[in-house]
This record gives sequence, C-alpha cells and structure tokens, in this order.
Amino acid sequence: MKNRLSSFNGLTLVKVLIYLFFGVFLLLPLVSVFLVSFTGQPINLLGSITDPNILNSTIEKFSSASFDNYEKIFTNKTYFSAVQNSLELAILVSLIVIVMCIPIAYGIARTTMPFKKTIAALCTIPLIVPTFISAYAIIIMFGRAGWVTYIYNSLGGEGMLLNPYSMAGIVLVQVFFFFPYALWPMVAAFKVSDISLEEASLNLGARNWFTFIFVTFPLAIPGVISSALLIFTVSFSDFGTPIILAPKDLNLLVVEAYREIAGFFNWGGAAILTVIMVLVAAFFFWLQHLFTKGKNYGSVSGKPKQQKLNDSKGLTRTLSVYSLVLVIIPVLAMISILLQSLATTWGKNPLPNGYTLSHYQTIFSSSMGNIQNSIVLALGALILSVIIATFVSYFVVRQNSSKLDFMTSIPLVVPGIAFGIALIQTFNTAPLHLTGTALLLIVAYTIRRLPYMVRSTMGTMRAIKQDIEEAAVNLGATPLTAAITIIGPLMLPGIAAGSILVFITVIKETSISILLAPADWAPMSLAIFQNILRGEYYTAAAMSVVLVIIVLILQAIANRISKNQL
Amino acid sequence: MGSVKVSQLTKEFSGVHALKNVNLDIQEGEFFALLGPSGCGKTTTMRCIAGFEQPTSGTIQIGEAKVNHIPPNKRNCGMVFQSYALFPHMNVFENVAYSLNIKQLNSSNIAAKLPIYLRLLNRKLGKYPKPIEQKVMEILEYVELDKHATRLTSELSGGQQQRVALARALVMEPAVLLMDEPLSNLDQKLRHSMRNTIRRIQQDLGITTIFVTHDQEEAMSMADRVAVMDSGEVKQIGTPIELYSRPSTPFIANFVGTSNVLKGTVVGQENGYSVVKGHGFLIKSTNHVEQKEVNVIVRPENIKAFKPGTISSDELTNIIEGTVLVSTYLGSIVRYDIKVEEYQLVVDTTFVPGESILTEGEKVQLTIDPERVLLI
Ligand SMILES: Nc1ncnc2c1ncn2[C@@H]1O[C@H](COP(=O)(O)OP(=O)(O)OP(=O)(O)O)[C@@H](O)[C@H]1O
Ligand SMILES: [Mg+2]
Repeated sequence: MKNRLSSFNGLTLVKVLIYLFFGVFLLLPLVSVFLVSFTGQPINLLGSITDPNILNSTIEKFSSASFDNYEKIFTNKTYFSAVQNSLELAILVSLIVIVMCIPIAYGIARTTMPFKKTIAALCTIPLIVPTFISAYAIIIMFGRAGWVTYIYNSLGGEGMLLNPYSMAGIVLVQVFFFFPYALWPMVAAFKVSDISLEEASLNLGARNWFTFIFVTFPLAIPGVISSALLIFTVSFSDFGTPIILAPKDLNLLVVEAYREIAGFFNWGGAAILTVIMVLVAAFFFWLQHLFTKGKNYGSVSGKPKQQKLNDSKGLTRTLSVYSLVLVIIPVLAMISILLQSLATTWGKNPLPNGYTLSHYQTIFSSSMGNIQNSIVLALGALILSVIIATFVSYFVVRQNSSKLDFMTSIPLVVPGIAFGIALIQTFNTAPLHLTGTALLLIVAYTIRRLPYMVRSTMGTMRAIKQDIEEAAVNLGATPLTAAITIIGPLMLPGIAAGSILVFITVIKETSISILLAPADWAPMSLAIFQNILRGEYYTAAAMSVVLVIIVLILQAIANRISKNQL
Repeated sequence: MGSVKVSQLTKEFSGVHALKNVNLDIQEGEFFALLGPSGCGKTTTMRCIAGFEQPTSGTIQIGEAKVNHIPPNKRNCGMVFQSYALFPHMNVFENVAYSLNIKQLNSSNIAAKLPIYLRLLNRKLGKYPKPIEQKVMEILEYVELDKHATRLTSELSGGQQQRVALARALVMEPAVLLMDEPLSNLDQKLRHSMRNTIRRIQQDLGITTIFVTHDQEEAMSMADRVAVMDSGEVKQIGTPIELYSRPSTPFIANFVGTSNVLKGTVVGQENGYSVVKGHGFLIKSTNHVEQKEVNVIVRPENIKAFKPGTISSDELTNIIEGTVLVSTYLGSIVRYDIKVEEYQLVVDTTFVPGESILTEGEKVQLTIDPERVLLI
C-alpha cells in the first residue's frame, strides 16, 4: 500500500529483518570463509564487533594474512589434483549426458516415437532420488557381489564390469541421475528450431540425416550448450555421489573440503577449497545465463506451428528402444534398492536369497527418530521459507526491490558443501554459537532452497494485480485484512506447491545434513549415510525406500496442486 | 453522500509533477467528469481522492471533513477500477458482499469475527446473514445480474463484469463514486448502452460521482460539469455547453469538439464588432477582448460554404475565399477541408438531398456569423 502512514513501521521492519537474516546467515559466512582463505585461521567477525579481545586477535590474524593457501592450489598435490579431477568429472559428465540425450530429445520432440509418454514419465524418477542413494544402488548392482557383476561373470566376464568405487562409477551415477536436467531444455530447443528451414532442406533433396546434422542440430545448439553448462554445475556441486563412491586415492573438491573440515579441522584448507568451488560454480552459472538470456526455450509462444513429426518406422523404433534402455537403468537401480530392503540376505546372485520385512521393522522401531527429525526439520525450513519467500516476493514485485531479488538468488551458485563449511566456520563460537543446533540446520536448509521458493511465490504474486489489493482496501478492508482475505487465498496454490517442493528437497538434502546435523537431530539422509558407512546395508536400503516413498507422495501432491492452478 | 472539495492539490513523483495546484469544487449529487489527454493526471487526482496517493501538498475534503490523513479504507469512496479489479476467487455475490462483510467484521467483537473471516475465505465455511444477502440481491437485481449471482466473475462478459464492479462499489453506499475510465474496455456498442445505465443509476441514487475519461464525447454526454485537464493542471471547468461554446484556450476548443483556430491581430472596433486581421483574411466578431494578439475560434458548423456568386444578401459579413481540398460525406452532414491561405479550415454543412456537393479543387466563398466568432 502506498499509504505510508499506516504501513511504514510494520513492513519496513520486516524488510530490515529479512536483510539482517541474509546478512548474518548468507553474506557473513561467505565473507568470513573468503577471509579465512587468506588468514588460514578461523575469523570471528561477529565476535570482533562485540568483544574487543576478539577484535585484537582478528587484527593479529589479518596481519599474518597471506596468499599461501592460494599458492597451495598449485604446490599442494592433493589440492591441485582435487581441482583437476573435479573439473574433469564435471566436463566428462556433461559431455556424456549431452551426447546421450540428443537422440532421446530428438525422439521426444520431433518424431512419433512409440512409448513416448512412458519414456517421459520414467525420466522423472532420477530427480526424485537423492544422489547418495543412487550411488549406493550402483554398488548393489555393480559391486563385487552385485547382480550385474554376477550376470557379467556368468557370461564369461572377469572381475567387475565396472568398479563402482572409481571415477567411472561416479560418472555412471551422475550421468544416469542428472540427465533429465538437460533432457527437457533440449527437447524444448528441438521443438523451437525452425521447421520451415528443415522442410526447405528436405525439399531440396537432402537426406534426413544430412538435414539433422546441418540444419536441425545447429539450430538447437544454444539450448544444448546451456544444458551442458547446467549439468556441469550440478555435477561439480554434487556431494552425495563422490562421498559414497570416491576411493581414497581419488581427490575431488567436495570430498577434499569435507575431509579438511570434518577430519583435520584445517580451516585454511577448507576455506580455499570452498572459495574455489563457489567461484567455479558461479562462473558456470553465469555462463549458462548468458546462453539462455533472451532465448525462451521453455515457452513456445505465438501461433502454434504445425509440427511435422518424423514417422519413419525404422528410425522411431530404434530411438524408442535406445531411450527405453537408457531410462530403465535408474529404474533398475531403484528396484535393486527395493529388493535389498526386502532381502534376508543377498549374496552374489541375481535375486535375494529370501524375503523379509524385518529391516522395515528395525527402522520403524529404532530409527523412527530419524524420520521424525527429517519431518520436523523440513517443516521448520518450510515455515521459515514460506514466511520469508512471501515477504521477499511482496517487496520484489510491489516495491521493485531488486537488491533483495539478487540476494535471494545467491544461494543458487553456492554448492551445499561450500555453504556448510562457511556456516560451521562462522557460527563455531560466541556470540552466535549455533553450530550443532537444529536451528542452524533449519536456517541452512531454508537459505539453500529459498531461491526456488521465492521464484514460485513471486510468479503467483506477479499474477495478482495491484488494483485487486487496492479494491479491497477501497471497500473498507485494512491492508492486513486485504492480505488475509484476498492476497492470501490467491497466493495459496503457489505457496503450497512451492512449500511442498521445499519439504521434498530438504528431506533429500545430503551435504548440509552430513556436515551440520548434530547426533540428536540426525535426519534420514544422515542416518542412511551412516548406515552405509557402518556396512548396515539392509537397513540403509529400507530407510532409502521410505525416503523415496515420502518424496514420491509429496511430489504427486505438488503436481496436483500446480496443475489445478493452471 | 457528500460534496468533494480539492484545493491546491499538488503531486510530485520523484521529480515528475503529475498535478499542479488542482482545484475542484464538486457539488453533492453532481456527475462530474475529469477529461484530458493521456498522462494529464486524471488517475492521479482520483487516487488522491480515494487515498491511494498522498498529496505532496494541498487538501482534500469529502463532505465537511478534511480527509488527507484518513487511510483509504476509511474514506468511504466507492471506486470502479479501469480493469474492474474483481476478486477472481469469489463469485459475483461474494464480490458484491465483500464490503458488507468487512463492515460487519469491523463492528463485531473477536469471537464474532471468526465466522466472518471463514466465509470470506471460503463460501462453504459460513452462511451469510439475511440482511446482507437481501441487500446484495437487491443491488444485483438493480444492475440486472441477479441471475448470475453464483457465477465466477471470469465467466461473465465485459459488460457484466463492469456492472459487478459498479454494484460492488454502490452496495457500500459510498459518499462519492469514483470511476476511472470505466468504459474503455468495452466495445463501441456496449459503451453507449453503459453510458445510459451509469447515468440512470447516478440520477436514481443522486450519488456524487467523479468520472475519469479521455473521451470528450463521453464526458460531454454524461456529466453535469466537466473539468478539462492538461499536463497536471485544470484548464477549465464548466457545463458541457459552456465548454463547447466558450472554450478558454485553443487547446480546449480542439479537445472539446473540433475547432478552427486562426491567429490574428485586433485592428479596430466598428459598429460594435471587433475587427481581426490575419494572413489573408479580415474577420469581424461580436466578442471583445483586452489583448491585441488573438486566437480566432470558429466551430466547423458555424461556417457556411457557397459556390462563388451564390451568397444571399444577408450573409455579406465575413466573406473568405478558399479552395476545397477534400470533401467527406458523413451522412447527415458533409465535411469539407478548405484551404484558405496557409490555413486549412474544417467546415460542416448540412446535407440536403438533391443539392450537389462541392468537389475537390472547386473555389468557394465562406461566410461566418460574427456572433459565432470567438476571440481568445
Ligand atoms: N507511481 C508513479 N510514479 C511516477 N510517475 C507517475 C506515477 N503515477 C503516475 N505518474 C506520472 O504522472 C503523470 C499523470 O499520470 P496519470 O496516471 O494520472 O495520467 P492519466 O491522466 O490518468 O492518464 P491515462 O489517460 O493514460 O490513464 C504521468 O506523467 C505519469 O507518468
Ligand atoms: Mg489513468
């Protein structure tokens, strides 16, 4: 409302509080970790403000600041190879994903491929599963006692088809569980590219494959590159897969940073690795934006073009078989987890030796606490996100607060493990000693997921014209009553869909949970992780199934809500 | 019901002067139109009255009370928005009942508030009290929408939505009714019939109404009085007839209907006429003004066109020679564009069946009754 007299105090106060929240829990940690990368010792910026003694020691630390850590990137073999391996992994994964997806995307976008709907539906499965569970599933399949290994050996193969505990294993998981992120933008790119040019090419007598290589594909290239960059960032920031699969001698940035902090309390080392992670992720995020800017592949607007779909029998059948084989792999991985959770024992055989529900009994009797923790933490993050996101979108949409808009997008470029390290470092001591509390965990989850929530609520807020709000006030309602009776109900579907997604992602969240969760607040993801480390594979599998089922149900509800909204 | 008095109203938006010393004195029960080109500050004036904008300076009075510091929800101004701003999640009945619910909400204790909130949030959660239901149905009948009471507003035509917006504003029995270009979203035909509907309701209820429009025909045909605005200033206030016959500036003369504006100098007085000389013409007017440099304003229908040599003897004053550039047949009238020296005059003549129309390139003689020549 423009009526400053009545709304100045309340709303301005909320705005200040939101800035304070982001300042303390996002900017301060990032700045601190940046400074630590120079000093090599923890810096307590908040303490320096409240306590002169801490201030003195901080100043002392600064006087000994140096570029030592930055030099180490090149001189320290471990760091250097970590950077090298991480980049290599991300590049490899994005290249393989793109090559693998081109035929599927073309098939979905431009042919009458059979089973198109089934393939599209199966493609959503990888996104539901947290990567450390996928990684674990790959162990069940390809491990020494895995059923794939069994089949491979009985066909005459020696040893393992593919060692899951290797770079190849990590690539395998990331490729098959991240490819949907690239697939849909690529489908859109193929749909948009100009049909008339292709027809011209075909009319001129060019063959189908020639037309594809020289006309269709080049037109889709910007969309393909942008997808590749997206996969790069996702792979580079992923923590769940490497932490399960990376062998001791394979250094990766995320794992190395985790070890520095959780194993050796080497603040300087963790800080420099964090800084590198953030810079690389931010750079590729920016590159990706550069490519998508101005090109709206998602929404094909204007007059719908009559698409002529390729219906050559040989081609569509080949594409269909190819796509089905690829999208079935994540499904097999999930089935493996399901079987493992139901198995009495499962040795080196294609199927378990016997079936039982006892593992579920075990987790429902002894690990109920973890399920509860997950739900409570996710609810906490959900409530905090809803409140903050609603106000942020109000300020951004109604008051053009672009600073706030920018601030809430920052978490997009900060890998989870990097953000976790920054938080631990900053809230380790007084005056805000929060490391090891559920509160910090909730705050971390909230900030990580806020960008998605804000986008969802902002869209809904934009759709509500300002004059609707003014009409309510004009009819006698106070701004607050107008918000409750008009804005609230109109925003509800957007908020509901967004908050379920927050809930889901928090339950799936790995890096923050592993790094920050105290023992008495361990959520499901941490419990599964610890079970795997301890070799309690059957309960880990059962808990994973429960987690995936919770996510599936919530996802279905969210889809329902957002569909009704349209 | 009340009068509205706006004094010395100024509004600045970060450097943009949207309103400069606007004064309006609107009588109780009057239908008052704000007319002006796009961006002249009509909406801003209205939003200041409704309380959505705080004036930079100046006062606003509704009835006897100064309302500058009364928040918009307490001003009791019914507003009809240009986009109608209907609540999309409520049906027609609920839209209209909104202000009555709010009124009841404000006057009840905490325990009684809950059921009102509930029925505001979802129609299934609460029943409406009889008096509210009756009042809403009455007003819906009045705007001929009682049959559509349970429809969602998105399922209505533009004209019906317009009437919902009107009913929603009227049901709260506002002191003033504010309408911001309410007809601009309707097609030509509907616009004409809605003009009559709005005017009839306004007369019936005797409600003070401020009506914003940039369509002069709309303002002239509906309003008791019209204020013409331009670049944030009120240029003239008067009844439609006053504005048409005595515009105070060439801008208004052209904005309110079509006018011919010629520049000239008063060269003397003769038999009670002012004599004005311009480029290629000498014109007499019964109008007397102080200044020497004047604008000569003549309405198209006050000029008569003759083929050379056919002028009757009682038309011998103010004869001007010209050439027909374009002639347009408009049904009951014929409009000519006629070149007179550097000017291009618009002349409307009544079309008489059987008489020939002047053709392009033809020489003509024009005569103007000195009583119809306005000097400003
Ligand atoms: N919120 C605002 N911020 C800055 N300038 C504004 C704002 N609202 C209006 N203005 C400016 O004030 C001037 C008057 O605007 P106003 O909306 O009152 O015009 P109007 O007469 O209603 O025009 P229209 O017929 O196009 O609706 C315009 O120059 C406009 O750009
Ligand atoms: Mg306007």
